[in-house]
Amino acid sequence: MEPDVSIETSCMIRIAVLPIGKVPPPLLRDYHSMLLPHHTIPLSTISSFYTEHQKSPFAHQPWDTGSLQFKFLLGGSPPSPWEDFQPYRKFLSVIGICHCPSSPDLDHVIDQFNAACKIYTSALVLRCFAFCPGDSQLDDGKKRENLVLFPPADRTMQEFHLHTMMQDIAASLLMEFEKWVLQAESSGTLLKTPLDSQATLSSEEVIKAKKRRLARAQKTIGDYCLLAGSPVDANAHYTTALELARLTADYFWYAGALEGSVCAILVDQIGQKDTGVEDEVRYRYNNVITHYRKSFIQDNVQRVSPITFELEATLKLARFLCRRKLIKEVVELLTNAADGAKSLIDANDRLIVYVEIARLFGTLGYQRKAAFFSRQVAQLYLQQENRFAATSAMQVLGMTTKAYRVQSRASIAKHSISNETEPGHADSGKLHHLLVVSLFESQWSTLHMVVLREILLSAVRAGDPLAAWSAAARLLRSYYPLITPAGQNGLASALKSAAERLPSGTRCADPALPFIRYMYLLIVNHEETVDSHFLNTPVCKKVDIIFYECRVYSFPLHPSQMDIVKRNPAREDWWAGSAPSGPFIYTPFSKGEPTKNGKQDLVWIVGEPVQVFVELANPCGFDLKVDNIYLSVQSGNFDAFPLSVDLPTNSSEVIMLSGIPTSVGRVEIPGCTVHCFGVITEHLFRDVHNLLLGAAQGLVLSDPFRCCGSPRLKNVSVPNISVIPPLPLLVSHVVGGDGAIVLYEGEIRDVWINLANAGTTAVEQAHISLSGKNQDSVISIGYEKLKSALPLKPGAEVTIPLTLKAWQLGLGESDTAAGKGASGSIGRTVKDGCCPSLLVHYAGSFGDARDLEKNKTSVPPGRRLIVPLQICVLQGLSFVKARLLSMEIPAYVGKGPSNPANVDGNPSNKAVGYGSKIERLVKIDPFRGSWGLRFLELEMSNPTDMVFEVSVSVLEKPSNEDNVSVDYAAEYGYPKTRIDREYFSRVLIPLEHFKLPFLDDSFFSKDLQLDESTSGKNSSLSERNTKSELNASIKSLVSRIKVRWQSGQNSCGELNITDAIRVALQSSIMDILLPDPLTFSFRLARNVSKNAANLDSPKESSINIQPSMSNSSVIEHDMTPMEVLVRNNTKETIKMNLSVTCRDVAGQNCVEGTKATVLWAGVLSGITIEVPPLEESKHSFFLYFLVPGEYTMVAAAVIDDANDVLRARAKCESPDEPIFCRGPPFHVRVIGTA
Amino acid sequence: MTTAACFIIASRNDIPIYEAEVGSAAKREDAAQLPQFILQAALDIVQDLARTTSAMILKTIDKFNDLVVSVHVTDDHILNISKPIHFLHFIIHARFMLLHDSRSDDGIKSFFQEVHELYIKSLLNPLYLPGSRITSSHFDTKVSALARKYL
Repeated sequence: MEPDVSIETSCMIRIAVLPIGKVPPPLLRDYHSMLLPHHTIPLSTISSFYTEHQKSPFAHQPWDTGSLQFKFLLGGSPPSPWEDFQPYRKFLSVIGICHCPSSPDLDHVIDQFNAACKIYTSALVLRCFAFCPGDSQLDDGKKRENLVLFPPADRTMQEFHLHTMMQDIAASLLMEFEKWVLQAESSGTLLKTPLDSQATLSSEEVIKAKKRRLARAQKTIGDYCLLAGSPVDANAHYTTALELARLTADYFWYAGALEGSVCAILVDQIGQKDTGVEDEVRYRYNNVITHYRKSFIQDNVQRVSPITFELEATLKLARFLCRRKLIKEVVELLTNAADGAKSLIDANDRLIVYVEIARLFGTLGYQRKAAFFSRQVAQLYLQQENRFAATSAMQVLGMTTKAYRVQSRASIAKHSISNETEPGHADSGKLHHLLVVSLFESQWSTLHMVVLREILLSAVRAGDPLAAWSAAARLLRSYYPLITPAGQNGLASALKSAAERLPSGTRCADPALPFIRYMYLLIVNHEETVDSHFLNTPVCKKVDIIFYECRVYSFPLHPSQMDIVKRNPAREDWWAGSAPSGPFIYTPFSKGEPTKNGKQDLVWIVGEPVQVFVELANPCGFDLKVDNIYLSVQSGNFDAFPLSVDLPTNSSEVIMLSGIPTSVGRVEIPGCTVHCFGVITEHLFRDVHNLLLGAAQGLVLSDPFRCCGSPRLKNVSVPNISVIPPLPLLVSHVVGGDGAIVLYEGEIRDVWINLANAGTTAVEQAHISLSGKNQDSVISIGYEKLKSALPLKPGAEVTIPLTLKAWQLGLGESDTAAGKGASGSIGRTVKDGCCPSLLVHYAGSFGDARDLEKNKTSVPPGRRLIVPLQICVLQGLSFVKARLLSMEIPAYVGKGPSNPANVDGNPSNKAVGYGSKIERLVKIDPFRGSWGLRFLELEMSNPTDMVFEVSVSVLEKPSNEDNVSVDYAAEYGYPKTRIDREYFSRVLIPLEHFKLPFLDDSFFSKDLQLDESTSGKNSSLSERNTKSELNASIKSLVSRIKVRWQSGQNSCGELNITDAIRVALQSSIMDILLPDPLTFSFRLARNVSKNAANLDSPKESSINIQPSMSNSSVIEHDMTPMEVLVRNNTKETIKMNLSVTCRDVAGQNCVEGTKATVLWAGVLSGITIEVPPLEESKHSFFLYFLVPGEYTMVAAAVIDDANDVLRARAKCESPDEPIFCRGPPFHVRVIGTA
Repeated sequence: MTTAACFIIASRNDIPIYEAEVGSAAKREDAAQLPQFILQAALDIVQDLARTTSAMILKTIDKFNDLVVSVHVTDDHILNISKPIHFLHFIIHARFMLLHDSRSDDGIKSFFQEVHELYIKSLLNPLYLPGSRITSSHFDTKVSALARKYL
């Protein structure tokens, strides 16, 4: 059997093309390819070479339209035993090809040529073409038979020469055919086939054979006519032959003649294939097949069988009909052929049949059928135990990979990848789905695996390590879930042994393991900066660990954030309004469908290292050693740093791959380059992306990451990355160490932060702002220092002072802090998120001004540095209890206060006396007219292990009413209170009186509401109002009192006493805050002109009290004129019933009763007065003291017709209850005269 | 009883959703996957034939060596009862492919019909995702029983 046969093969003249001498294979191929175009030589062109010696037997030679067909067979082949039956099997001509430079001796060439031609006994024309002859060879005038020298010329010229020579050969052949036919017609030849019995012929058979001879001769003449390009002549001879053969029952030759006649029809009707011809061909060929089958002789079935001709005829017909329209018929023919192939004796014949069937199925578009038969071919090749057969098997199997969807990436790359990358992710969905199905179609996986295994086997046998490696890699990567661990190990060792035979640095298009998935891409590597969104996911815990490891072992990473902020050149605060482009692909701040297009832009900076996280998975049952893995960047402007990883069995690992962008432009990261199993492969993220997509849809066998225990993650695609020119880079550290700053609550400390420019361009602009919680703990920032340091050159640094004040710990925090303190450990953990951060926005120069005008976007971006202030607040002094201590000291009638310096709101007297400390604390209550001491007592505990010293200072503030604008502070020389560790102590803080100037209506209306609707809805409102009043008072009070503490050498701070005061005052807000409705006071009437009322109402506070000892003393047995002053603190007139009593030291009423020691004139009780609002009225009376000593005078009043305000103030329960007001006691010292 | 080699249900996308080795075909180690290969290759022919004929059972559409492929194509309009048609079309369009080594047409026909019934029953299972692999062991035992009965 012969490959590549068709009906027209019968009219082709077979020419052997033989290399003579040494011809380098590429040149031989080149010369052969020069011959190939001359396969058809039209008869019209050979007439000049043709000479008619005798009358041509080809009477109907179509000299105008006909042609001779050549079939060149490079290297020739041994002669076929069927040459007599089908002359086209003969090599009718031999062409030798000689390359002159390598074979200088032309005589020797001729000898070689003649020797080579010896086996081609049937050759009628012999020619040896010598190409590129040297000058000496050309000059050698010796004429050699059959040697043709092609003078050196360009290719067109040579082809022209060759064409001429082929015409010459054609003419010679034609003349030889004529000769042969004339001879055969006249003398006749004995034609035999292997079918004919080789045994001695019986007489009967001899007669039979003689009969048949004529038919066979006619058939052969017809064949030569066909070869000579004369189909009409051929047809005539075939018709005769058919008649004769039928008569002699020579079915085999009948079929042969029939075949020839079909070919003659086709050659005759060349170019016009109408249905009539088609039907004729089909009919005749079916006949041919039948007759070949009939010629089957049982006798010599072991030796030779006409079945090959039957199959050949079937294939010829199939090839003729091979069109989509006739697919059913062709399939049937091919199925029959395949069926017949099993009865073929020679394996080579079967191989050829399968090859042809596969080709024809391929032509029909039945890829799976074609692949099936290709695989059969490969199996036949594999049965031949030699290397060349194995190579052929490998190549044939390589052709089936497309149908079996186990293609090598190398073969896909040529067609699809290029146009597949173009559409990007925009039209994912369907495209992706199909891609996934096609790439990872798992369903026929057993077949795919078989094919891959066969490729591996054949590649190993053929000694092609790269193909073996590729097949094993594909098998392992795509079908690892279906392979047992032992099988996986076997594949791994196959990979290794293949790699050993490969030169190092070999690249393979098909990746093996591990699976690599793109995770996140960070420019930043600091724990704090990892977005909380990521920290919540389990992977980020992992990322965190990686961070740690990287920091410790391999990379000295900048502990700072290097955000890039778009700069708005039009604004002073250029960073505002532009969210940092950030290191994150997803930020919770850009919630507006961040993954809608699946990609975000990233900006990298030339010269600054970047990190990319990828996850590797090894789902197989062996330990995988990745010798080298680095980012594969096609854009060429990125230096990737390799890493080596060991992946244990069934494991996955997140690794950080880093590199440095080297020039401005775009960076494409399609995947990683991996050096594993001794071969360099490209692992594309997209493939794994698709694989995971397929796994999500259940199309793929298994997800390699999940079976390694890695959590399911949303697939992230690689963002668009662009590289921009260098920017300044600030690096910060806290002077004195980057550890946490440990502060006690309320502690104030200065901290210095060092900013250094680690970039290559100067910082031109910088701005500091605060973010995060507890921002008020940063009291001051040295902006000026930073501003004055600008521009900050590369390498320069600046130190910025900060003043920090530790915040108060919350309830829970202080508990834990206390607990930690008690357990002895240092509670220095910095709680996440409660520390403020400094945001330093900085930028380099604006670049060229002209550029700026042209294009605003060309402004180089600024950056943001986040300096987290790691403040650890420890619990300091803690309040246990706070209360208000107050004491009333009665005033002396007629006498000024013992130390007027402390009279509230009287600064001029301050300087008068600096008596005992305690006296300075005594202050007059302007509303009661009495003197009092008021302290805030704080009980504090010290849970720390330090000693605290507390000092109190009061910032004296002149009262507002005086319009004295000068603030001045008076440091009271209070002794410092020392609180030892784990002790309690009390600190007294002097407080001033604070009351409202008068009993306000508005205030009372609130209070009224409170009273009227005690449990009403308004109560909360009024309470709130009361509280706000209180808060305002407390605030003004606190602002003047500083309670400082000091601990150790360098810890000092302030106590926040606001809360303490609030706690202390909570119980008696009203009493403290609100004035009494009435203020009573006494004075001696005789010095009234000089000594003004010592009542110090806010309105009259400018009146100075001028003590006058001469007038102010009270003497016994003297009529002492006295006045009682009643001041109305409300805004309404109050009518009252006033009474005055005087008591002696024993507390006895000494005005009334039988033993009265004080006589009086005037009215002392039941005095009815009406006091207008905010004014005072007086009532005069006289007292006559009989006994010297101390007396106490008390005024009291019962208010008539009290209004609601007063009732509320007095906290009356029933409206009928009389409202009773009592003034403070006044002392009168009566001096004896004796 | 004839010896059949392999039975496959292929879905619309020519993906096998059920595979079973039926009968008692002698298995050789080197050609263990041959039945699958033959059936997969036969899909090319089935694809064309199913488009042109309305017959459900396509007898002996392909053969290799002594193995013959018979196919039962489920029709689209059989089951348009309750679900949208296009959906159904996608689901139930399946090919039952039997690779056997001799012809007993009646048995094969009955086998196909009974398996078709089984297949429809499994389609009606709300938990079965149409187009996915049939993994029910019940289906498996039923098919084996039918194979024993008819083939």
